[in-house]
Amino acid sequence: MVSVELLVQQLINGLFFGGQLALLAVGFTLIWGVARVLNFAHGGIFMIGAYVGAFTIAATESWLLAIALGMAVTFVLGVGTEAFLIRPLRGRTEFDIAAIIATLGLWFVLEHSMRLVFSSRQRSVDPITREIWIVQDIVINVNRMIIFFISILAIGLLFALIKYTKFGLAVRAAAEDDQTTKLMGVNLPRTYAITFGISTALAGLAGVLLGPIFSVYPSVGDRPFLLAFIVVMIGGLGSVRGTLIAAISLAIIRAVALIWTSAEGAMILLFACMAAVLIVSPEGIGGWIES
Amino acid sequence: MNSESLGILVDRVRKDVRENLETTSGKAIAVGFLVAFVVPFFAGGYSLDVATQALIFILVVTSWNFIAGYFGILTFAHAALFGVGGYAAAILAAELGIPVILAIFLAGIITAAFSLPMAVSLLHLHGAYVAMLTIAYAEIIFFVSVMWRDVTGGPTGYTGFPALFGGDRVLLYYFVLIVVALLVAVQYLFTINRFGLVARAIRESEDAAQMLGNNTRRYKLLGFVFGSTLAGIAGALQAYNIRIISPPVLELERMIEFMAMGIVGGIRSLSGGILGTIVVYGLMEVLRPIGGARLLVWGILLIVAILYFPNGLIGSKDQLGSIQDRVVNAIRERLGR
Repeated sequence: MVSVELLVQQLINGLFFGGQLALLAVGFTLIWGVARVLNFAHGGIFMIGAYVGAFTIAATESWLLAIALGMAVTFVLGVGTEAFLIRPLRGRTEFDIAAIIATLGLWFVLEHSMRLVFSSRQRSVDPITREIWIVQDIVINVNRMIIFFISILAIGLLFALIKYTKFGLAVRAAAEDDQTTKLMGVNLPRTYAITFGISTALAGLAGVLLGPIFSVYPSVGDRPFLLAFIVVMIGGLGSVRGTLIAAISLAIIRAVALIWTSAEGAMILLFACMAAVLIVSPEGIGGWIES
Repeated sequence: MNSESLGILVDRVRKDVRENLETTSGKAIAVGFLVAFVVPFFAGGYSLDVATQALIFILVVTSWNFIAGYFGILTFAHAALFGVGGYAAAILAAELGIPVILAIFLAGIITAAFSLPMAVSLLHLHGAYVAMLTIAYAEIIFFVSVMWRDVTGGPTGYTGFPALFGGDRVLLYYFVLIVVALLVAVQYLFTINRFGLVARAIRESEDAAQMLGNNTRRYKLLGFVFGSTLAGIAGALQAYNIRIISPPVLELERMIEFMAMGIVGGIRSLSGGILGTIVVYGLMEVLRPIGGARLLVWGILLIVAILYFPNGLIGSKDQLGSIQDRVVNAIRERLGR
């Protein structure tokens, strides 16, 4: 029999992890929703953010600076990716597939060039705080809690940006119907590029924040990316709200499953969930709640 | 089928073969096939191993092209199914004492059985969604191969299965050459017949192909399962080639390497798959001294190929195909989609 404490502990761990996962997943789903790009380099960009964060913290010990720099670098990387890699593919009959292949290539380039420069060595990063609270035998890792709240804050800001600004209106319009949006005088290439930058900056932020938990190495983005990928598929590609719900619930399912099975077993379970959702309703959870 | 229609079929195959042999790539493949027979007289040891490996990759990449290039089903499960074939062939021979050659073909059938449920669930999906679902399947197979220690040997892999031909590398090479040549020839026969035409029609516009009275679901199902079977047989050959089968063989990274070979050569033809395999795998062997940086080259190759040679090195001779593209686009624009 599983004790209540263990269950509650795993629920809390799952909730915290879900927030971080959502941060990575929301950017991934955003760029699909707006520009029909499945960015397979998203995990690679997460890794770049983690490196920038690790170096900044090692040099300055300032988390604010690390977050700012990490997001700035990955924003520029995202805009560059859209301008030089994705834009030339637009207009092809199989654009979505061409974009998958191009970003897969970028993922390989990012990961293996970092491996060449910094080797596969794992770099550890100091957490924001080492403090731990114990409430009725339940351990609360304050570092993870702070990361959770920063993630939720960032996602909230994204919601506000999309909902209340003129840029957000253009983004929503482009997701709905790109041709009409163009006719309305929206600069589509610029909208795509900035959206791509925002999407990758969120991945970069996730990389900076998770550096202390995963430590930093060239393939650090692979596993979180796979998890975010599952989250996005279940949440419904392009649905930011569905993704948020899916991230938190899947992270909790995973954490509870880890009581009984290994990390591999949990991945099998999650991928099976994803396959089931894709087969039954390719639109995912987002398909139900948005309609 | 009566004798008259069989006669027409034979005539058409003969005509197509003759036409294809007149093209540069056709000639090159014919010459390459003849050269392949004398390779063991010149090459031994490591270079013979490279040649055997290249042949196995040709089978994987052409069968991926068969699914992805002809039908437009961008599957990511090919490397995982390649691994399933490898495990099946090794385990059948070691645990059940089945003769190795038989085990290799049974592995193909087992892989077909694995691919059938995937094929069925893929039928109603298109484009990027196919990629996602096949990635989910591939990852499930990968994690099962890591976890299921009793059967697969876990993360360290499965070894200690009997060798083929008592470990004679020259005999193994000829066996691989004959199996690969036969299976590529079977794919070729498929593609030049009605089957290949319908496949390309499905790629261009599934709705149109269906409206013309083709049972497109049956074609897609058959195409996916057949291509996957070949991946399984290639995996079985690979298991006996490298004498170990372990989870890294079916990782997503392997899949990307197979894709890179197919895309660089040109995914819309079998000759593209053959050429791409030889060029890319050859390049990687030449670059062996630079070690880990080779993986960087894989990435650059993918990017350059998709940006500048979308039809691969072989190019698109399929003029009909590009005209069809334009027509389909024009109709789509009219309909405002």
